[in-house]
Amino acid sequence: MGWPVSESGKSGSARVLERRDLSGLFSLLLEDGYRVVGPTVRDGAIVHGDIESPQDLPVGWTDNQSPGSYRLVRRTDDRCFGFAAGPQSWKQFLFPPKERLVKTVRRDANVEWVGSPLDETPLALLGVRACDAHAIEIQDRVFLGGPFMDPGYRRRRESCLIVAVNCSQAGALCFCDSMGTGPKATSGFDVCLTELEDAFLIEASGDRGGRILERLPTRDATKADTDAARAALEACKSSMGRAMDARVLPELLLGSLDHPRWDEVANRCLSCANCTLVCPTCFCFTIEEISDFTAAVSSRERRWDSCFNRDHSRIHGAEFRPTTKDRYRQWLTHKLGSWECQFGTSGCVGCGRCIAWCPVGIDLTEEVDAIRRRPDSTTDARGREDAGAARPGASKPVSSSREGTPPVAGAEGATAGDSSTRRRGVEGEQGLRTEESPVFIPAYKPAETVSEENPLLPTPAHVLGRRTETRDVVTLRLEMPAQYEHGPGQFNMLSLPGIGEAPISVSGRDEDAVEHTIRAVGALTKALCGLREGDCLGLRGPYGSGWPLDEGEGRAVTVIAGGIGLAPLREALRLMEGRAGRYEWVRLVYGARSPEDLLFRSELRKWREESPLRVSVTVDRGSPTWTGNIGAVTALLHRKELPRDGLYLMCGPEVMMRVVVRLLERAAVPRENVYLSMERNMKCGTGLCGRCQFGPYFVCKDGPVFRYDRIAFLFGRKGF
Amino acid sequence: MKREIRKTRPRLGVFKLASCDGCQLTLLDCEDELLALAGELEIVHFPEASSNTAPDGPFDLTLVEGSVSTPEHLGEIRYIRERSRFLATIGACATSGGIQALRNFTSADEYGEIVYAWPEYVLTLADSTPVSDHVKVDFELQGCPIDKRQLIELITAYLVGRRPAIPNVSVCTECKGRGTVCVTVARGIPCLGPVTHAGCGALCPTYGRGCYACFGPKENAETASLARLMKSLGLDEREIKREFRLFTGYAEAFRKESVRHE
Repeated sequence: MGWPVSESGKSGSARVLERRDLSGLFSLLLEDGYRVVGPTVRDGAIVHGDIESPQDLPVGWTDNQSPGSYRLVRRTDDRCFGFAAGPQSWKQFLFPPKERLVKTVRRDANVEWVGSPLDETPLALLGVRACDAHAIEIQDRVFLGGPFMDPGYRRRRESCLIVAVNCSQAGALCFCDSMGTGPKATSGFDVCLTELEDAFLIEASGDRGGRILERLPTRDATKADTDAARAALEACKSSMGRAMDARVLPELLLGSLDHPRWDEVANRCLSCANCTLVCPTCFCFTIEEISDFTAAVSSRERRWDSCFNRDHSRIHGAEFRPTTKDRYRQWLTHKLGSWECQFGTSGCVGCGRCIAWCPVGIDLTEEVDAIRRRPDSTTDARGREDAGAARPGASKPVSSSREGTPPVAGAEGATAGDSSTRRRGVEGEQGLRTEESPVFIPAYKPAETVSEENPLLPTPAHVLGRRTETRDVVTLRLEMPAQYEHGPGQFNMLSLPGIGEAPISVSGRDEDAVEHTIRAVGALTKALCGLREGDCLGLRGPYGSGWPLDEGEGRAVTVIAGGIGLAPLREALRLMEGRAGRYEWVRLVYGARSPEDLLFRSELRKWREESPLRVSVTVDRGSPTWTGNIGAVTALLHRKELPRDGLYLMCGPEVMMRVVVRLLERAAVPRENVYLSMERNMKCGTGLCGRCQFGPYFVCKDGPVFRYDRIAFLFGRKGF
Repeated sequence: MKREIRKTRPRLGVFKLASCDGCQLTLLDCEDELLALAGELEIVHFPEASSNTAPDGPFDLTLVEGSVSTPEHLGEIRYIRERSRFLATIGACATSGGIQALRNFTSADEYGEIVYAWPEYVLTLADSTPVSDHVKVDFELQGCPIDKRQLIELITAYLVGRRPAIPNVSVCTECKGRGTVCVTVARGIPCLGPVTHAGCGALCPTYGRGCYACFGPKENAETASLARLMKSLGLDEREIKREFRLFTGYAEAFRKESVRHE
């Protein structure tokens, strides 16, 4: 925590700005064209607002905080920054609560999508504490870390200047020291101030900060100055009001999904979303369609969302996290646990806002302690996936001590099919799932590439053809966008102006067209099914993981599909049909509700009669003319050969996949030989909006096709 | 995208049962949008706005204000439903029984005697109930009165064919979105925001007052925890009961909570 003492004002060396000269910093920033925002007193709290001079700062104010309570109080001195984190973080400026993303204009048969304008005034954030500087760096990983970038965030972030302020006193709810994020700002700023009695120690980082420092009337820091600053920081460190035991949090939390504490905290939680709204790193958003009555002009608007809201996890016909317990557990396991898998850092910086601004004062440090005290023993597991890549920015080095945490399995630990491990399906509160599924904690893998394109901007695509598959399913043949490449099992986001956007898997392609097979269930899919040749829709993609057909080479491949689940498998089947010699054999087992609900009927017949594919079809309810199988997919599968070393690809209703997974486990098929396609609330498709989370995964980015051993501990479990 | 020119515009009916007319007035308050709206919808029946009425419809879109409070309402709402393709209820009365549902907690006769000089002329049901207790409702727009922007969104979504973007989230979400400092945390003021459906734009908290739950309960309203908080802020049982028993007091989540504090 030392400051280099040097004679010049060059970057990296400590200088002193007299208190009376602080106004000079404001003038410089305003002169340079920045909109300066910083702490100021309003409505009984220290909020972040536009400020123009040191008089706008909370001079002589501080705060008393406790869980669910915040009071502004007078200080005995006239410090400018003598307070802890207030009700607002800085995310409202870089990631505003509402933002227009895309505008749509309709011209005759064509639709055009345009990004939002780029004409915002650059921001200077003045008074950013170390915890919040870290929080901004964490949101940088979310919005800029790839594979896709958020253009609005990027433009605000790149033009924004950060004046950090080191903390000289800790609040009653602060625990940055535990999280390794403070109290001294070590990165993520251009200029950093440390408030002394009558002056500020000032240091710069980078060219932009250096140029500001050069233009300020500073003097050299004396030893007394740096000693005073160091002493203040030490005092701050030792007076943290809270502490978080940050050891092995992903293992602890993801390994404690059945802990009784979740019920206990759900009894207090209001499910009001305040914790997520005040959190400086929470980033979930929803996208809404805004239009006039005719949707001639419409736009797509982003709004803050929260995992405490119902719509966050809802798709047509399913709500994945209906209870407060599900939602709180999602929040805490994500914030402190799966965040590390997704972004290589904890999602918590120890600012304490979620404790103060929770009306009922739920304290996450207390919740973690309670969970750590009574580790849940219902999961059996042994370790974390070998990270391989470095884990930059992780809050704390992961301790080798496993004390107080349930054992967790990693990629190597999970020896599915091991005869010593007894597995059986259990019905009950947790629904149908297999017991003894080791927790799998995926290692953080930084994105290999980062696309600079606006990922949320659809490309216009015309409907080239339309085929009715069943009474409620239609296949659209769409004009293929330029340079479009995808793998089988991936999906595109399809959109209609004014109505919305949804992820739809690719069901086929040829040289100039890409096909989507869509069941009309909600407003958008009904409208999509109603399109005709020549109509224009929006397409962006492809997204997500595909079927691992290479892994099937030399092996027997069983494809199991239920209902509309055949659509994302059709291309895989076509590809395997075309190179059938590479596989021992390929079998399709397909079930639908009734003979009328079978998709791709002529292709099914062709596959069965004229191709090497082995095709078995069953329906739940027959018809007078139906002479085939009647019954569940599992009943049919039961009679088939299920080789242990075969490859299994599966897509269908989750309930069907659960039963099939049980059957395969009984046949001793190792879990790593099974792949299935999952569905969650994918709103952006690009790993930015946070809504499709399934444990440590984003279904849009890490899925939708998952290897079963990696999700077995969650699959079929209620509330995820 | 091709769009057919509407030869016939969807037919709109606006009805009222037991209510103050405030929600219908919200529709008339849509001054900037009214002309465009009239271009897209054929206003068939809207007694608040026009004496040219046709209560028999049929209607493509029907907006119903008010609660089912009298014996006539029972038949009336069934008839309206039969004549309507898409029926949305608007306002606290239609969606939760309204302020007049306070009588449900006691005897309607008793109330009648206190309020009216000749209560024998008042023909009323014992309970004032939301429309959805009687007929199928396609969308419930909460609020006392409803919010103009949400009403426009409901109608737009109907015309365009999308699900209305009217998120069932807490008033806290609106406070945080506009930067309002939490009145409970910063000032110890009891506030129903954490359990109340957004829509007002966090009007009261922005003026330093607690939320009165005009927009009724949000989904998953955790009223029991909020009641414990109110107690810790110094409210007694009677006061807590009254907090939950206001414009939307008969909505299930609030009703159950207020009964616990009787």
